[in-house]
Order: sequence, then structure tokens, then C-alpha cells
Amino acid sequence: MKIDSGDTAWVLASAALVMLMTPALGFFYGGLVRRKNVLSTIMHSFFILCLISVQWVLWGYSLAFGPDKFHLIGGLEWVGLNNVGLTPNPDYAATIPHQAYMVFQMMFAVITPALISGAFAERQRFKAFVLFSLLWATFVYDPIAHWVWGAGGWLHQLGALDFAGGTVVHISSGVSALVAALVLGRRLGFGKEKSEPHDATMTVLGASLLWFGWFGFNAGSAVTAGTLATSAFVVTNTATAMAALTWMTVSWYHKRQPSVLGAAAGAVAGLVAITPASGYVNVMGAIVIGFGAGVVCYLAIQLRERIHVDDALDVWAVHGVGGTWGALATGLFATVAINSSAANGLFYGNPKQVLIQLAAIGAAWGWAAVGTFLILKFVNIFVPLRVQEEEELLGLDISQHGEPAYAL
Amino acid sequence: MDATTVIAVISCAIVLAAWLVLPSKATTVKPVVVSEERKPVSISA
Repeated sequence: MKIDSGDTAWVLASAALVMLMTPALGFFYGGLVRRKNVLSTIMHSFFILCLISVQWVLWGYSLAFGPDKFHLIGGLEWVGLNNVGLTPNPDYAATIPHQAYMVFQMMFAVITPALISGAFAERQRFKAFVLFSLLWATFVYDPIAHWVWGAGGWLHQLGALDFAGGTVVHISSGVSALVAALVLGRRLGFGKEKSEPHDATMTVLGASLLWFGWFGFNAGSAVTAGTLATSAFVVTNTATAMAALTWMTVSWYHKRQPSVLGAAAGAVAGLVAITPASGYVNVMGAIVIGFGAGVVCYLAIQLRERIHVDDALDVWAVHGVGGTWGALATGLFATVAINSSAANGLFYGNPKQVLIQLAAIGAAWGWAAVGTFLILKFVNIFVPLRVQEEEELLGLDISQHGEPAYAL
Repeated sequence: MDATTVIAVISCAIVLAAWLVLPSKATTVKPVVVSEERKPVSISA
């Protein structure tokens, strides 16, 4: 097999773009918490970048993409990157070195558990977070990645469409975030005192960097530098912009002011929703997906507030609900005019695709919810999930890391 | 024009139309609340 230098360059550059998203997420989340917790919140993302980078080469990639076992999980043949060399693997990407594909996928595995950290911000014990993240990546992320993207995975064989991770990344992290928020319980003072974002500028900067990195996430998922990558790039930008406009408009109507943080959150919701669809829909589909994301994710936050769930940074509303909408919308708006190797959606004469997408959505919700609950209960046997009350009041920067964020 | 395009145009029209009727400035001005946490913190070595 001949290696294509253009494809290889694009996938490696995309891996670097996706890598940037995880620290960007740290800044996005960091601005939204109180100043006594900003460093610990950023640390969640930075630490996971390190942790999963090692987990992935040791066993994560093998479980997710290794030789199929019962259509459920990859085997251990590729542990330690054994048999994952520099020649292409035609099952995944026929024109780039296998390790280029591996490192690109690594960055997806990195950011997914980092997304969950927004749900338990300002109250989770760091040691419990470390154990949870490692177990979650192994027992929740890796199997779902195999189902959807692995050669032989059952959802892959069923025909589920998930171009860049609507089910694998966003539903899995968003649903896990909801479960984590319920298991850990609310922060002290939740609902009684307002927890204002300490630095909105940091959040907008983080959202902007996420947007930038997401071009690698979606357009890079074409694993070729050609027409499909270009289309994915264009629809990603379009849906994101439309979702930001829509969210800002809905919040303007609801709160009587056009919110800056709302525009940033809307952009992220749009990025999430277009992710599974980015290799299958045209630009008109992207506009509808962005519009829907701006509406449904905003409404999900209102619902979350009404039922008093302390998902601190609204991971479920943005990633769980946004990912679900995106996965469903893929079944509505996918067209073979964009990707001839995929399938049409409902609006192009194939209603069956909606049912397949619903199966993938249900499987991801179920596995993530049950897996996360069991892992949290298991970790709690060895390490308390929450910090003590006085540690929470003092702030996690000092109580967990012994460092303040700002020496002002 | 296919169904997807029709829905996309309607979506854009809803957002654009909303901007015509939404308030041009905040109806109430929120007082700036300076919480205790915003005070400089002393750092012991």
C-alpha cells in the first residue's frame, strides 16, 4: 500500500488540532467556575491529556480498534502498539501510516473523559478523578468506540453513521456527566447562592480555540485530504455559526439580553451536533442541525435547572443532548451526494436510517449510564468521590493542589 | 428546492425575524456584585 503524503500531513495536523481542544476545554470550563477552583478545573483537562495518551498506546487503542472479538471489543493483539506500525491499515485508513491513524484517534480518547469533568467541577476529589478517568476510558469509551468505529463493531455493521463522534464522544461523555452529577450530589450552596463564572473572557477564548481545533476533529475524520474533508470543514463551520446565532437569539428572547457566554455555549453546542453528521450532510442540513442545536441544548439547560441537577458546567445539556440531536439529525439529513460510501437519511428517501441511528443512540446512552454509575460506585469504595466540606469551601485549587490560580 | 433547504431557510428566517422584535438594550440593569472571592488573596509561602 502506498502512503499518500498529503493525507498523512492532514491527519497529523488534524491530530495536533484535536490535541489543542483538550487544554482549550480546560479554559472553556475554567472561566465558568469560581476563581478558587479554576486551576483544578484546568488541571482536569491537562491531566487527562497525559493520562489517556499513555493508556491509549498501552491498551486503549487495542481495545477500541484491535482485532474484533464478538463484535463488542477489540482484542489485546495490539497492546503496546504491537502490530501497529508505519504501514497503512486498510480497515481504517489505506493511505496513511497506521500510527498516524492511531494518534489521531488518541486525541478523541483524550478529550472525551475531559468533557465529563465539567459535571463534577468544584467538588470532586482529584484522586477519585484519576481513578475514574482511567476506568471510564477503558470500560466505557473503548467499547463504544469499537462498536461504532472498530472493524467488526456491531453498530458499525448495523450501519450506524457517526462521522466524528456524536455517539462515541458526545453522548457517552454527556450521559456520563449526568450520572456523575447525580451520584456526586450538588455543590454546597447550590440553588441558594449564585455561582457566577469568574472569567467570561477565558471561556470565550476557550470556545474559540475549541472551534479552531474542531476542524481537525471533523474534517480530519475524513482521513484523506480531499473533497470529503473540505465538505466536513464547511458544514462544521456553518452549523457552529448557526447554533451560536440561534442560542444567542433564544437567550435574548428568554433573558431579554444577548448573552456573550450564550453565544460561546451555542457555538460549542453546534460543534457537538454537527460532529456525527459532518461527513454526511450538505450545507443546508448543517444550518438545520445548527439551528436545532441552539434550541434543544438551551431548553435542556432550562430543564436541568428546573430539576435541580448540579451538572456544574452543563455537559449533559450541551454534549449529551447536542450529541443525541446530531446523531438523530444524521439519520434525517445524510445524503450519498456528499458521501457515496454512506447512506441516505429520511429526507433523502431512507427512513430506516433513523431507526439505526436511534439504536446507536440508545446503546450509547445505556452503556455510558450504567458503566459510569458502576465505576463511580467502585471508585468510592477506595477513595471518597467528593472532597470534604471544608475543602470545598476553601476551593479545590488550594485543597487539592496547594496552588492558587492567581497571585493578585 | 428540497425539504432540507426549505427547513434551513425557515430556520434562518426565524432567527432573523426574532432580531427585529427583540429588545435593543437590557430592560433592567443588574448591579455589579463583587463577591468576597474577588478580593485579592494572600498567599502564604
